[in-house]
Amino acid sequence: MSGMVVVGLFEGIEKAAKAGNALRALPLAEDRITTLSSVPLPDRAVTRDTRPIRFPRVTLVGWFVGALAGLALALGTYLLYPLITGGKAIISVPPTLIVTYEVAMLGALAGTVIAGFREMGLCRFRTRLIHDPRIQEGKILLCARVSGDEQAKRAMDAMKTAGGIDVRPEEGEL
Amino acid sequence: MSPKWAMAIDLDRCTGCGACVVACVAENNIPVVGEAEVEKGRLMQWLRVARYWEGEYPEAQAIYLPVPCMQCERAPCETVCPVYATYHNEDGLNAMVYNRCVGTRYCANNCPYSVRVFNWYDHKWEKPLDEQLSPDLTTRSRGVMEKCTFCIQRIRRAKERAAEETREIRDGEVVPACVQTCPPGALLFGDLSDPHSEITRKLKDPRRFRLMEHLGTEPRVVYLKRQKGAGR
Amino acid sequence: MSGAPNPGGGNHLARTDQGALYRELSRSNLPATRRWYTVVGLLLLVTLWGVGCFVYMMKVGMGVTGLNRPVMWGSLIASFVFWIGLSHSGTLISAILRLTNATWRAPILRGAEAMTAFALMVGGLFPLIHIGRNWRFYYMIPYPNSRQLWPNLRSPLMWDAVAINTYLLGSLTFLYFGMIPDLAIARDHATGWRKRFYTVLALGFRGTHSEWRRYHVASTIFAILIIPVAVSVHSIVGWDFAMAKVPGWHSTIFAPYFVTGAIFSGLAGVVLVMAALRKVYRLENALTTVQFENLGKLLCTMSLLWGYFYFAEFLTVWYNRNPEEWEVYRSYGGHFLPLWLSMVVCNFVVPFPLLCMRRVRRSIPALCFVSFLVLVGMYAERFLIVVTSLARRNDPFIWHNYFPSWVEFSILAGALAMFLLLYTIFAKLFPIMAVSDIQERLFQATDRVVGGTTLESVARPEASGEGGHG
Repeated sequence: MSGMVVVGLFEGIEKAAKAGNALRALPLAEDRITTLSSVPLPDRAVTRDTRPIRFPRVTLVGWFVGALAGLALALGTYLLYPLITGGKAIISVPPTLIVTYEVAMLGALAGTVIAGFREMGLCRFRTRLIHDPRIQEGKILLCARVSGDEQAKRAMDAMKTAGGIDVRPEEGEL
Repeated sequence: MSPKWAMAIDLDRCTGCGACVVACVAENNIPVVGEAEVEKGRLMQWLRVARYWEGEYPEAQAIYLPVPCMQCERAPCETVCPVYATYHNEDGLNAMVYNRCVGTRYCANNCPYSVRVFNWYDHKWEKPLDEQLSPDLTTRSRGVMEKCTFCIQRIRRAKERAAEETREIRDGEVVPACVQTCPPGALLFGDLSDPHSEITRKLKDPRRFRLMEHLGTEPRVVYLKRQKGAGR
Repeated sequence: MSGAPNPGGGNHLARTDQGALYRELSRSNLPATRRWYTVVGLLLLVTLWGVGCFVYMMKVGMGVTGLNRPVMWGSLIASFVFWIGLSHSGTLISAILRLTNATWRAPILRGAEAMTAFALMVGGLFPLIHIGRNWRFYYMIPYPNSRQLWPNLRSPLMWDAVAINTYLLGSLTFLYFGMIPDLAIARDHATGWRKRFYTVLALGFRGTHSEWRRYHVASTIFAILIIPVAVSVHSIVGWDFAMAKVPGWHSTIFAPYFVTGAIFSGLAGVVLVMAALRKVYRLENALTTVQFENLGKLLCTMSLLWGYFYFAEFLTVWYNRNPEEWEVYRSYGGHFLPLWLSMVVCNFVVPFPLLCMRRVRRSIPALCFVSFLVLVGMYAERFLIVVTSLARRNDPFIWHNYFPSWVEFSILAGALAMFLLLYTIFAKLFPIMAVSDIQERLFQATDRVVGGTTLESVARPEASGEGGHG
């Protein structure tokens, strides 16, 4: 995924959108264009997210893994050492349901965190990531992954024409 | 066949003398906490003789109700303990494991008879009072629950003796301290699974009732109702 | 706050640039002043005093409390219920507001979520403080002991342990996850050790289009997951009591009643925390009367709901006159009358009519007063539930009253100080305002002239269908 990325800062979403259109017209595939912004931009405002969002499945998987763990914790421990209390049955269903539910929810939360972080690409401390702190002033950083100097030059031109500030090539990952 | 230990308390015979309480304290290494603590509701006795008044003065009459642990067959205290410190043992007794207890006191709350007591402090037996401690059972540290065990140490001893002599435990062989002491003979202890035992016969009495029967705890302590009328 | 109506909740912030907005909202992160150190020092002192008293209690025995037989649970358990209840507003309210896309929510999210996390930490300590052999607390952790015996998961206390564990981890995740974009903003503004601190904590979040999209999906999932967990936690706290054979506890209404009470007291807590943040860190532009009025409306609803639940419970026992339960209720008119009155007056009689008035809801001091009353009333309610039912148990021969000892009061004070201490330190180190949420809302909002007035108009990205480029 690593390679040359052309970046440009844009003042306001309109200019960024214009630049986005120009990049697409180069042509540059949708998945090679992205933005960095301090606020979430609506999809298709500048660029479109082509990657499907898959991690909610892991939430479900986490739920079931948690449910199994909860079941083992409740039911399993009753059966490992059957000790009668209060003259009641060894297998007691409602407490098992409660414990299973709680651990299942914990599993779902854990699954969401782990898979969500992974899919968002967080915790990549060793890789050089494209970033520009100036987005915190309200600017939008438009990034285009290009292959070859020829394409880079055309992308830079397109960005400059659309009103990009500090348009430059960068080495790094998105 | 596992025994069904039970106690019968004949309220007609109970005079409220409190000898059973004293015997229990002596037998089970129960600390004496002193007046100030008793005032605060920290009595450590496993057996209490509750006293109720019936009628108005001068016709007032005291009713005495000795309340040990009921050794419920469906003991509510057992289910709520998070660490199984109280459970049903093989003799059908409601047993207490001091070493496992962390002192949540949930069992005490869930006991409708409020017979469980808590060690609010570490208790000391000053010399020479420590000489009176029974070696058959431990003293309890601060922070654990305790309660009447039907003198489990005596049951254990009788069981061992019977096993040595390869026989069953005889009726009347196990006598808890309170039963042994009761001057008017209001208390009786025995095995309900033995159809010929004295307690089985005694509990055919139509006066029998159990405390707070409606709660469904199935106590092993059965009371015999006090009769009313002349000469009583 | 007076002057022109400000329907947007800090709408004028839109006119300042983002750097200035961040500086305004992150005042709490400025280098600590002497006053800050004094406050932290004092709180630390009170906390340490509470810890000292706890250690003393542990060494000497639970006898240093006012507990007795039959009142085996007292102020420590009442405080446990109270603090866990207080934790309910934060995450729950914030999750509900996120899901319903309430436009005024942004400035209160972080403060409320942080409150949840710290109230849970403090509340979760109480059962451990309260048990007789605290040094053996690990007997309740699910692992087999040397005889291969596990803890008894049939005990409601174990349900509690499992549920609070899930809720605490969930709330911390919710708090942290919601904070990541703000940590990224802080990272890009900070220098020195704070830069390194925020760099690690922001986990390399930059705000790419893909990150933002996934971030939104994940925070929605968290919100969906955390709501049922929050409800279950206080239901289980209610079941700790309802499962017991104690007249006055054994009631089917307890789970929903406890959840209602929890949200009620939690909202009151949020109002007080928000008012304090607003005052101390001069966040008047972010936390406007809009937020307070809306919180006031919610508080009013919860007061009504609480009153309804309490009436339903009271009526059932009162009409039935089941002697065991009735003795508990009779003591409300006797020994426990002051407590009962404070509960009814502080939870319903005063707050409900006051909160019906727009003037009160829009006045921050008045709303704070009502919230304080609610906290007092809810503490009284917890105390009443725990203590009264035990003090008037089935057997009248052992009835006994209870009053907390100085050791218990010290521990309660220490707990409060610990909560405030954690909160103060959190506000110093972390973005206490959800800057990115506020920015997002400002980004979506524009002023629109309608006839002679100007109204705020909000664009909802998720409401628009196939938009886009040609």
